[in-house]
Amino acid sequence: MRSQATFVAFILPATIFLIVLVIYPVVATLTLGFVGADGQFTGLDNFATVIGSKQTVNADCLQTGPPCGTLINNLIWIGLHLPLTMFMGLFLAMLLQRVRGAAIVKSMIFLGMVTPLIVIGTVLKFILEAPIGLVPAFFGSIGIKGLAVNWLTSNPSTLLFGLIMGTVWSWTGFSMIVYSAGLTTIPKDYFEAARVDGASEWQVFRKITWPLLKPVTLVIVTMTVLWELKLFDIVIGATNQQGGLGGAADVLALQMYRFFYVQDYNHAAVVATLLTIFTFVVSISLFRELLNLPRHKRRLLRARAKPAEVGTDSPQATIAPTGDSP
Amino acid sequence: MSSGGADYVPSKTSGRLIAIIVALLIVTNVITAVGVYYAAAPKAAVVPVQVIGPWAGDAIKNPSSEWGKFKPVLDKFTNDTGIPYVYTPTRQEDLSPTLPIAFQAGQSPADLIFMPSATIKQWAAKNWVTDLTGTIGPSSYQAGALDPLTASGHIWGGAYTGKVKPGFWYNTTFFQANSWSAPTTWQGFFSLLGSIKNSTGNPPLMAGDGVGWPLSDVVEHFIETYGGASMHKALANRSLSWTDPSVKSIFQNYLVPTLTNGFWTAPTTWDNPGVTLWWDGTNPLYFMGSWITGMVPNPSALGVFPLPGGVANQGIVFAADYFFVPKFGAHQDLAKRLAQYLASEPAQELQVKQGGHVATAANVPTTAYPTVDRNVANLLSGKTVLSDLDDTIGNPFQGVFWSQLQSLWANPGTWQTVLTNIQTAAANQP
Amino acid sequence: MTSLVDRGPRRRPWKLPFRPRTILIHVVAWTVGLAWLLPFIGVAVVSVRPLSETALGWWNPSPFHLTFDNFISAWNNPGCPLSLGLRDSFFVALPATIIPMLVGAFAGYGFARFRTRTRDYIFLSVVLFMAVPQMMVAVPVYNLMIALGLISNLLSLILVHSAWGIPWIILFMRNFFRTLPEEIEEAARVDGASDFKIFYKIVLPMALPAMAAVVVFQFMWVWNDFFFAQVLVQKSDWFLSTQCVPRLSGQLAHPYDLLSAGAILTMIVPVALYLVLQRFYIRGLIGWTIKG
Repeated sequence: MRSQATFVAFILPATIFLIVLVIYPVVATLTLGFVGADGQFTGLDNFATVIGSKQTVNADCLQTGPPCGTLINNLIWIGLHLPLTMFMGLFLAMLLQRVRGAAIVKSMIFLGMVTPLIVIGTVLKFILEAPIGLVPAFFGSIGIKGLAVNWLTSNPSTLLFGLIMGTVWSWTGFSMIVYSAGLTTIPKDYFEAARVDGASEWQVFRKITWPLLKPVTLVIVTMTVLWELKLFDIVIGATNQQGGLGGAADVLALQMYRFFYVQDYNHAAVVATLLTIFTFVVSISLFRELLNLPRHKRRLLRARAKPAEVGTDSPQATIAPTGDSP
Repeated sequence: MSSGGADYVPSKTSGRLIAIIVALLIVTNVITAVGVYYAAAPKAAVVPVQVIGPWAGDAIKNPSSEWGKFKPVLDKFTNDTGIPYVYTPTRQEDLSPTLPIAFQAGQSPADLIFMPSATIKQWAAKNWVTDLTGTIGPSSYQAGALDPLTASGHIWGGAYTGKVKPGFWYNTTFFQANSWSAPTTWQGFFSLLGSIKNSTGNPPLMAGDGVGWPLSDVVEHFIETYGGASMHKALANRSLSWTDPSVKSIFQNYLVPTLTNGFWTAPTTWDNPGVTLWWDGTNPLYFMGSWITGMVPNPSALGVFPLPGGVANQGIVFAADYFFVPKFGAHQDLAKRLAQYLASEPAQELQVKQGGHVATAANVPTTAYPTVDRNVANLLSGKTVLSDLDDTIGNPFQGVFWSQLQSLWANPGTWQTVLTNIQTAAANQP
Repeated sequence: MTSLVDRGPRRRPWKLPFRPRTILIHVVAWTVGLAWLLPFIGVAVVSVRPLSETALGWWNPSPFHLTFDNFISAWNNPGCPLSLGLRDSFFVALPATIIPMLVGAFAGYGFARFRTRTRDYIFLSVVLFMAVPQMMVAVPVYNLMIALGLISNLLSLILVHSAWGIPWIILFMRNFFRTLPEEIEEAARVDGASDFKIFYKIVLPMALPAMAAVVVFQFMWVWNDFFFAQVLVQKSDWFLSTQCVPRLSGQLAHPYDLLSAGAILTMIVPVALYLVLQRFYIRGLIGWTIKG
């Protein structure tokens, strides 16, 4: 393609869409956060109100437990959910390498990823509720009375923890599939060589598998954190607009929605902006990592095996498709 | 881009490509548009009036469902006037976010909508509600029925039938089998709970729906019984603080002990198992509104008692269902006729006949009520009739109130914090 | 290689089929898989049995009656009929898949073939676009749609979803086009074909598998969306199927038999699409540079 005009013609339709329906609204939301309902500039007042409110950050939760506020809940979600899904997915991916019918098992686990999140929320409500739910019934049958309760309404902690485990259940499929694909790109002679040298399985994992999966891990971490931040459907589906029991499972996106439907657009914009700041921090760090990482990784991967360019382009492509789905 | 621009000469083929793309766009959108138009085209020659109410259920399979009992009322309207209707059941929980979004855009999903009174007044202040002054008036109602909908001399909606929330319901057969009886003192109530718990091994009190309103009904019942009608009114018009010692003492001496002694189940999210477990005696006492008469297999075995041993001037909550006509409905004339009808004696008589409802219209004869509802009416005697507290204050207080009470049930030790949080929400309510 | 998930154990050099360890691994893997499926099995069982049989746990085996009443009730539910919900979801998801696919492929090709040193910046901006949460645009998009008179009109959702899908489609298609050999295009150019002609005569046909991946992803994302629908569609005639799911509940009763049927009707479309086009889906997920 030689002419700039052709280039412009190719990208023009996309640009128009993005300007009207993404860039302009983002800028408009940004400005909304800094003005009052009357349009007067108010500086950081709106931000102070939102961050200072107990709904966003509830310091009492250090003493009394949840509810902790939307912002803290999102962070708790990341802190618990991220390592759990990641290692669960990695464990399953490695386990399923050696299993007959792995494709079927993978599909069973991956089902949660293709199901609408609002349905996942409903399903969680359905499995956490006593007496009809599987989870309380399970704990009842093994004699743990304290957990054989209605997880949604008997305790703020069981509600929050139950929903977090629920998202682990529904999203483990993602890290499992991506790790599985990552594993297939590691050349087998690596393992064979290590085996000949008498390395234990743990050593193989530590020295070969884990380091070579780093680019894949980066992608999984970023995508998962982005979903955890944007969490909305699951919480509203499993609880209500208030985030359930005392707001124990309340999250930023839900808080934004509440401000939105009472026409408090300025505070809605503040919550949205906070959310966006978080997502940008996460994705920019991924971007930097990906740009820096390939230099040594790429050489290593290229030298040894042809198809193993996990570190170069694939993470970009991987981010793409699921960008907003959950 | 000086020379670059000259390179690009739209040729026939690029034109064809663009044509193909444009055609694809057009085709997909025409399909949508045609579908949308076809589906939107009115199916009946006569325009129906669109109604949204909270009552769901399968009217045909289950005539005693909530909607099954309301349907005959709307059918009669169509019979009398020839105006067909379209009824959509939607929870108020789902309406409270979506209606403002629609109204702000100058739209309304229906011509007549049921919502709590405080919400109707809030929306009236935003200029979203049609003034019904002149369409309906207090003369056809019992005294005070329209007060919650009146603001600065204008009537913004109508009252339909309502429910009373009289106390704890039980299965008399089950009680007799265990030789238990309705208590007459607080001590008696408390020891009854203890002996039921000892005998069944389960919490005696069933706590309803996890959304939160059944808990608020329970709390209101404790307040109106042990604090009296005056305290309930003062909390509803927010002249009394929730952290006032008089309010605190009711929580501390009455409600919280029932919670800390494990007399309550965790609130059920799904009612069906709740009702099953209550009726079969697993958790044999259920605080609910009078609509429960329609939810049991054998209503004649239903018994009910209020909290015993309260103060002299007690109150009882009567929660009416209120409707309004949004400004943006397509057929306001039809909606006004329906509003008049719903406010009238014949419509409400038809509704109360089916059980579980109490009329707000004047002159509905006592004989119109089923026996079980007449017994409920007896509980009203000597008590001040109150409006539902959180419906009167409205959102966002209501949402916080419900969710704080859920916290209280989960963690009774935090009752002081709960009261502080409720008071904060009450104080912040515009 | 046909599918990435399809690798049998026979390629593993250390695999010894009859070791007890192997049996253990199989037991663990299949148990985990079944446990993962259990919540969905529960929903399915509740949806085909009368409520009275499942009220205290769907696993209670008797009595057991098979019924499709719940599906019929959900399909005709007066609050939010799934019959309309599914129709509307299709009305939105089909155009909102085709439009961004074409627009995105177009732009992606531009970025792939136009000699520019700004690749990293493009990548960065697309990544940032994809990171923006929907909540960040909700208020202005809502006001824009009021101005255009498109609230409760499915066209608003089609437009928003199209715009929202474009960034990742650009990136995805760009990465794909980069893997195509440029020689063919060069040869065609020497023959005097214009860039547009090359694009649709030569490049697009080769891009069909990539387009399939785009279709699966974009369709699923649009179908599964709940937030934008809640913001833009407020009329019961135009509710999407995802909006119907919570609306099957009543004020006094939570008919979870009905909810289960509604949940299954709503999820069946993306799940079926996934099962049919799994190959493209996984490829899309992994990216084009890992090839079998």
